[in-house]
Amino acid sequence: MAAGPTVKQLMQTYPGKIRRVIKNYPYKYRDFSKTAAEASLAARDQGKYWEMHEILLTRSPKLDRASLISYAQELGLDVKKFTESIDSGGHSKEIDGDVLYAESIDLYNTPTFYINGRQIVGERPFEYFKKIIDELLKQKGM
Amino acid sequence: MKKIFCMILMLLCLPVCGMTGPLLPVGKVPVPDNNPQTEAKVELGKKLFFDRRLSGDGTMSCATCHDPNLAYSDGLEISLNYPTTRNWRNSPTLINVAFQKLLFHDGRASSLEEQALFPMMSAFEMNQNLDYMEEEIRAVPEYETAFTEVFGDGDTSRERIAMAIAAFERSLVSRDAALDRFLTGDENALSPEALQGYAIFTGKGQCVRCHGGAALADDRFYVLGVQENPEHLNDPRIAATRRFVAKVSHFEEYRTLAEDPGRYLITNDRKDWQAFRTPTLREIALTAPYMHNGIYETLDEVIEFFNAGGGKDNTVLKPLHLSPTEKEQLRVFLEEGLSGVPVDFIYPKIP
Repeated sequence: MAAGPTVKQLMQTYPGKIRRVIKNYPYKYRDFSKTAAEASLAARDQGKYWEMHEILLTRSPKLDRASLISYAQELGLDVKKFTESIDSGGHSKEIDGDVLYAESIDLYNTPTFYINGRQIVGERPFEYFKKIIDELLKQKGM
Repeated sequence: MKKIFCMILMLLCLPVCGMTGPLLPVGKVPVPDNNPQTEAKVELGKKLFFDRRLSGDGTMSCATCHDPNLAYSDGLEISLNYPTTRNWRNSPTLINVAFQKLLFHDGRASSLEEQALFPMMSAFEMNQNLDYMEEEIRAVPEYETAFTEVFGDGDTSRERIAMAIAAFERSLVSRDAALDRFLTGDENALSPEALQGYAIFTGKGQCVRCHGGAALADDRFYVLGVQENPEHLNDPRIAATRRFVAKVSHFEEYRTLAEDPGRYLITNDRKDWQAFRTPTLREIALTAPYMHNGIYETLDEVIEFFNAGGGKDNTVLKPLHLSPTEKEQLRVFLEEGLSGVPVDFIYPKIP
């Protein structure tokens, strides 16, 4: 939640220069984190990943099944398809794959950011990211 | 000719005695009798160090602010914090922390076992209730097994959690730095420029007066007049943290406190007003930004601060009159001479 505005500011500051890739690392002791990951991917199936992502960040911790379904409704998704997907764990293979990948690169904290392979742990000020991105862009002559 | 000059320089510089005694290579890690170091205990401590159960909302572990990739600091001026709050001081490195007699910038803990529980309880760090934490850890079968193996039974008391984390922290040792090799007789360990920097460190720069021994720190507190971090003045959440710490330290005027009192909050001794502990310089190249409030982004800025004789009203430091070349040599020594051989770190699997 707290890192969301910073990431948004970064995307606005570097249009066309940086790409955001999200990997799922649901915390196994959170009640709804895996279902929330399922919800984002079920929304992706219907072309609304980023919209759902935004809602999940801003409405957390209200991420129970009923809330997720109401968010799908709010976004105008096919709710039946969406609900079937999250109930059946339609993307669990992908999510589990992300978790395995996270473990393989020694990720131990959320949020963790990787900027061209450089690991940055935790929520940090905009300027911290900006300095690193500017450095890397400069190296690339951009 | 250059080699002869270097050798003469070495002879002039060895041994060096300041207030902290001679510079020493990193040797045997001191371990308290009541918490002997075992491999199983270090492994358990490593797991706990990375376990987010130790924070109130499960978002932070010790490793959040003490990142192995940043020599166990976090790369920020003011350390990371519990969500919605702000910390007020820089995250210190844990490298060679086993050699420190007093912990935290104000020295409020006198052992790693005592230190470990502070951030867990702290409202602006991990904000955990320790009674609850003991039960959370006890509820994990793998931990129960590990505690039994290490301590003889499955009791997951806060004291044992702290003992295990302390054992892990004692394993974080920077070894075989160029300085260590130089001090044990390898005359080629330091590059010619670093060797010049060593001469300044131990001579004209007088760094060794406080940064001596194996830890390169004297476990003492000094008022150097480091300027306040402007964030202290601008962020109301940092003001809340400052006043909170002062309040629980029984500082009467906590409501109007506008600066960091440093060691004074622990001793109530006026001479300790804004005094902070001498930090280790081991792995200094990786632990920017510097000083208790992260006010200096680079070593060049730190060297400039000391060269100018410290900050306003300080009575400890005097101008050093180092030339630009000498400042550069000193920086090279700090960066090249004090960085140990990198050790592959194996991250734990959290149960």
